[in-house]
Amino acid sequence: MSSVIEARGIKKIYTLEGGLKVHALNGLDLVVEDGQYAAIMGPSGSGKSTLLQILGCLDVPSEGSYKLAGQEVADLSEDELSGIRNKRIGFIFQAYNLLGRSTALQNVALPLMYRGTKAKERNRLAKEALERVGLADRMGHQPNQLSGGQKQRVAIARALATDPDILLADEPTGNLDSKTGDEILGLFQELHEEGRTILMVTHEEEVAKHCQKIIRIRDGVVERIEEVKDRQMATFTGDIP
Amino acid sequence: MFLENIRTAITALFSNRMRSLLTLLGVVIGVFAVTTTISMGAIATAGITGELEDFGSQKIIVFTPRDKPLAANFTDNDIEALSRLPLIVQKVQDTAGFAKYDDKEIQLSLSAVSADTTDTKIARGRIYNEQDEAYASKVIILTQDAVQNLFDKDVDPLGKEITLTIANSRTVFTVIGIEEKSGGLLGIGTGDAGTIPLSSFYSVVPYAKKGEYQYLPMQVDLDVNVDDLVSQVKSILERRREKDSFSINTIKGLLDAFGNITKILQSILGGIGAVSLLVGGIGILNIMLVSVTERTREIGLRKALGAKKNVIMQQFMIEAVVLTVIGGVIGVIFAVASLYLIVAAVPFLDKVIINPMVIIMAFGVSVATGIIFGVWPASRAASLSPIEALRFE
Ligand SMILES: Nc1ncnc2c1ncn2[C@@H]1O[C@H](COP(=O)(O)OP(=O)(O)OP(=O)(O)O)[C@@H](O)[C@H]1O
Ligand SMILES: [Mg+2]
Repeated sequence: MSSVIEARGIKKIYTLEGGLKVHALNGLDLVVEDGQYAAIMGPSGSGKSTLLQILGCLDVPSEGSYKLAGQEVADLSEDELSGIRNKRIGFIFQAYNLLGRSTALQNVALPLMYRGTKAKERNRLAKEALERVGLADRMGHQPNQLSGGQKQRVAIARALATDPDILLADEPTGNLDSKTGDEILGLFQELHEEGRTILMVTHEEEVAKHCQKIIRIRDGVVERIEEVKDRQMATFTGDIP
Repeated sequence: MFLENIRTAITALFSNRMRSLLTLLGVVIGVFAVTTTISMGAIATAGITGELEDFGSQKIIVFTPRDKPLAANFTDNDIEALSRLPLIVQKVQDTAGFAKYDDKEIQLSLSAVSADTTDTKIARGRIYNEQDEAYASKVIILTQDAVQNLFDKDVDPLGKEITLTIANSRTVFTVIGIEEKSGGLLGIGTGDAGTIPLSSFYSVVPYAKKGEYQYLPMQVDLDVNVDDLVSQVKSILERRREKDSFSINTIKGLLDAFGNITKILQSILGGIGAVSLLVGGIGILNIMLVSVTERTREIGLRKALGAKKNVIMQQFMIEAVVLTVIGGVIGVIFAVASLYLIVAAVPFLDKVIINPMVIIMAFGVSVATGIIFGVWPASRAASLSPIEALRFE
């Protein structure tokens, strides 16, 4: 199997205003094979979100090499990176990041617009994605009219709408009740079975057990990678309350 | 993509109604203030100039200097001597008195001009003629102000008899005409005033010195060179009168003086206009900068979802152009409307003058401010990595 993600010696150093340097990632190596479904776990502040953002081409590493599907990301222009984010990657932010004054439907349709999909088709796909996460009746709502869990599901729908082959999710079930969380995990299971690569940051062992592997991070490096033995299977019923 | 972007821009404008309206307001105020102030300068100038031209032909006025109260009056002989020049010397006397109709009485400045030299313009009724002059008819022409103050609204003053009291003697005069009101600035045809034939004046004003005049207004045709004429008048009078016993004024000279005043007026209004433009511009800038944080996050998100930099810039450009152009158009419409209102309301302004250059400049500066300060922060935000932009505070 070929590796879709190949990160070598990744460092991410934030310089604070006072000149203090924070090493969020400290020479991290990670290889993820095509079609893998893995959880990223680690203590708060260990660099999980930072890693995911770099893998999602939302930020660039301070040092190291990151190859996405064999392509060195550092060699790509800004616009080429935009293209990759749009076509290959579905990113679910820890903080949702929805456009505050747009409806759920508009939010989900947004990445499709940047790929050039026509308005009609865009709305159809966005609707489909929202239905999949159980928000058929909330399409016209703006984020401030949605609960935390509903916002999270809009963010998931937005990542799914573009039909990406890599899904990067930063605590996608963090705000969901266990029933809805299980539905989302069932959805991820389906997406995984379709052959997509999924990396999911989580704090819950129970959630991580749905994945094939658990990547454990500590102090900005990969501590170890575990195979999940007693893997749990969630099924997607499409029945979200 | 461009059409999509127009839609995105418009949607963004509508979803941020408050921000959009405030920006719009900034542009409206900028364009409005500049257009009105500068145009008002031009309109006032035209009003003043027009007023002076309304005064009719050119005029030369000779009078005894204020600092020489003992200087001799002008006489019929002086008029006779001047009459070979291409001008009409008016025989004028004035005094003040009271006019009474029914139980209303007003103070009236009374002037008398001989029928053959009068240039009083009549709005209604008729002017007195040679016959009135010959028989010293007790007829009077009143200004509209006098008519308004002396008669009730529903009374037609023409043909009515009023009582004039001059130097304690009363005489009944018949109103035969109402003077045209040519404007307030020089006071022609305004104020409570009346005009009567010269002979009637002599018959009712006991102390009047017949054939002596304190000043001599002279009408000069528009195509005659006033300056040449003034020196001729001067040389004739110098031969007849004591040195320095008279002064000469011309309406042409007044025009020049007013020209300077209006130039000052225009520069002041222009300055106010420039300041308003600056204030409007700062308003636009302020709103644009205040929304930078929010918009930087929006830009980060759009980039994260795959928007390319120039697509984002295009969206912001369209937003800025749409806002500023709409604002500019509204500003111009308001400005033009208020200029028409002002001109309609102020009597001595009679024509709306709007220099297209003023509109182009006001429009141009506002639109440029809007675009520069709308697009520049956006351009900075769009150069950040999506995560940096999303985290911006
Ligand atoms: N923009 C930034 N500037 C400075 N330091 C940062 C920045 N972003 C993250 N950090 C630091 O980098 C480290 C890793 O942060 P990161 O967000 O990746 O942690 P995390 O593992 O996702 O934590 P959590 O589980 O709480 O979400 C933290 O110590 C954090 O303080
Ligand atoms: Mg995190």
